Amino acid sequence: MTTSQPLSPPARRAGRWARIPKAPYLFILPYLLIFATFWAWPIISSFLMSFKDSRLGADAPYALSNWSRLIQDEFFRTALRNTLVILVVQVPLMLSLATVLAVALNSKLLKAAGWFRFAFFAPLVVGTVAYSAVFRLLFNTDFGVVNRALTGIGLPAVDWLNQAGPAMSVIIMAMLWRWTGYNAIILLAGLQGISEDVYEAASIDGATPAQQFWKITLPLLRPTLLFCMVLSVIGTLQLFTEPALITNSGPGNATMTLGTYLYQQGFRSFNFGYASAIAYTVAAIAAVFSVIQLRLFGRER
Amino acid sequence: MKKVMLSLSALLLVGSAAAQDLSGTVTIWSWDAAAKALESTIPSFNKKYPNVKVKVEDLGNQNVYDRGLAGCAAGGQDMPDIYSIENNEAEVFWARFPDCFVDLNTKGADKLVKNFPAFKWTELMAGNKRYAMPWDSGPVVMFYRRDLYQQAGVNPASIKTWEDFIAAGKKVNAKFNNNVKMATVANGQDDEWFRMLANQNGCFYFDNAAKAVTVNQPGCVSALNTIKKLYDAQVVATGDWGGQITNVKAGKTASAMFGAWYEGTIRTNAPDQKGKWGVYLMPASKAGGVRASNLGGSALAIPSSSKNQAAAYAFLENALATAGGQVTMLKSQGLVPSLLSATKDPYVKTAQPYWGNQAIWQTILGTLGDVPQARGTQYFQDARQVMIVVQADYIKGRYKTAKEALDDAAKKISSATGLPVAK
Repeated sequence: MTTSQPLSPPARRAGRWARIPKAPYLFILPYLLIFATFWAWPIISSFLMSFKDSRLGADAPYALSNWSRLIQDEFFRTALRNTLVILVVQVPLMLSLATVLAVALNSKLLKAAGWFRFAFFAPLVVGTVAYSAVFRLLFNTDFGVVNRALTGIGLPAVDWLNQAGPAMSVIIMAMLWRWTGYNAIILLAGLQGISEDVYEAASIDGATPAQQFWKITLPLLRPTLLFCMVLSVIGTLQLFTEPALITNSGPGNATMTLGTYLYQQGFRSFNFGYASAIAYTVAAIAAVFSVIQLRLFGRER
Repeated sequence: MKKVMLSLSALLLVGSAAAQDLSGTVTIWSWDAAAKALESTIPSFNKKYPNVKVKVEDLGNQNVYDRGLAGCAAGGQDMPDIYSIENNEAEVFWARFPDCFVDLNTKGADKLVKNFPAFKWTELMAGNKRYAMPWDSGPVVMFYRRDLYQQAGVNPASIKTWEDFIAAGKKVNAKFNNNVKMATVANGQDDEWFRMLANQNGCFYFDNAAKAVTVNQPGCVSALNTIKKLYDAQVVATGDWGGQITNVKAGKTASAMFGAWYEGTIRTNAPDQKGKWGVYLMPASKAGGVRASNLGGSALAIPSSSKNQAAAYAFLENALATAGGQVTMLKSQGLVPSLLSATKDPYVKTAQPYWGNQAIWQTILGTLGDVPQARGTQYFQDARQVMIVVQADYIKGRYKTAKEALDDAAKKISSATGLPVAK
């Protein structure tokens, strides 16, 4: 019997198959099954659903009706515009505040630093429903403490929740209150990763604290800031809790966001096909924004 | 005559034999006062069916809706034996999940059709199927403060049209230096006033066949016009659900217009104003016009997955299709019956102390037969969202005329639902 004779193709294939270790795959099989059932399938299924008019029942034929509606839908445009307004106003404001806060919390001059860190992180621990209810009360036109304070110092009371502009500002203030501390803590971790040596060298060279902040702290903090920014942008695109619970997307649809519109279509109108189309659009926008941010701010020096 | 008596007693015998047969547990999902009202009918039910145990679970309004959706989407999993459903939201269920609920005609509901006003059935049917039994309703009336009207020299009996209402509002404004308004209108948060006035004029978002958008028809145009006139005459304030109650409590409004279920809201929120309130019919859009409308109201359905459908249907019949059941709920929680025979119950004629000893239920229930039909359709929420915005924009002056505003609303509702705008 000679061994020099080449193996026939099927035998070789079987040989390669035999050489692949199977045990690891068996071990991760349960995870893969769960992933396929609860992650991959819903993602595919909702994509397919976005081509169906789910209001016609389960047997609706595939069509582009949801996507063509999305393009013309004024409500979608309003939701998108409102979300972008919050994005453009709230995210930069929050990240600037968070950076200032992080630098302050990192300062050696600060006594009881641990207590302050906790205090600024605490809003995140409060349940969203509870804090939304509190904000509703604070900004109540007739009984709210905010209007009491305003009238107390001689300013006119504002009908916060029943007017478009003020309602939007309440949403932004609520989000600032809740998320600034969270970002500050992440940035603080970033700050503590910056070596003291750099600052020492800078001081020896005669750099002022302001110069140190702009020329050292900010550039070295960039990866952390980028992380915070990407997370905040994605979070804002998904924004739901505050507009749903504080203003109920109102007045009219003045504070309706992509998140609340998606919810309204999916779970108030039971229009799952259209809700899926909105969800895919939001995901696409989030992906595009993330890429832009990574390109603009993420390049390695 | 003898024959009739014989067959009647035979029927009774068969009936009572069947009643003895029914047993097991019937669970009901409902909310707040409605759940308490259903509970109040259990004793009379158990008199007829002693072997059936009834369990009412108060899940809260939103939760009932959400869990019903989840249950139906899962093919009827984890559903109760009886499900509470708001009329306006009902058609979404029938359209998306036609097999989730029992066709009550198969249980004998087709024999009860005439016992309820026609408008209560429209939203509970899909094709020939009758998916739920009418429960309470929301005949619209004007609640008013007797004392404030009197001080301003307004006689409620003289308010027959919206023009009269505005004229009365001007008197109230003059008397109280603009500190008291005639009513609070939800603007920007809801479009209840538009719906009440449109329904009164025989118009609604959609036609009764649910085939076309009719929100720009003359009745609706007149409704939106009236709301604008109320604002232009400065006789109304703006406020959402909470704001409206606040204004009632603080005496900042001399009246409030809502479905009659608002009776309990006023009575429990302002107990100190006992005797100061009264009720009159909503003003008509023109002299001699309809002074009735409906806002809200619910129904009960039996999920197909229920293992105890016969007992569930027996409960429905006792609570909703008998005057005794409906009046029990009216007494206990102020739930307004939609059963026509309940309107003849002696309790309805009783003077109500809170309402200045007026027999308000007689006034309120008397309008039931005049309420024009309207249906929410499965697109109710889409249409409502559009109208909330269009109404607020029109009041703000963003459209030149009510017709222009409603043409725009019709276009938007049409693009959201795929239904054509009616010619």
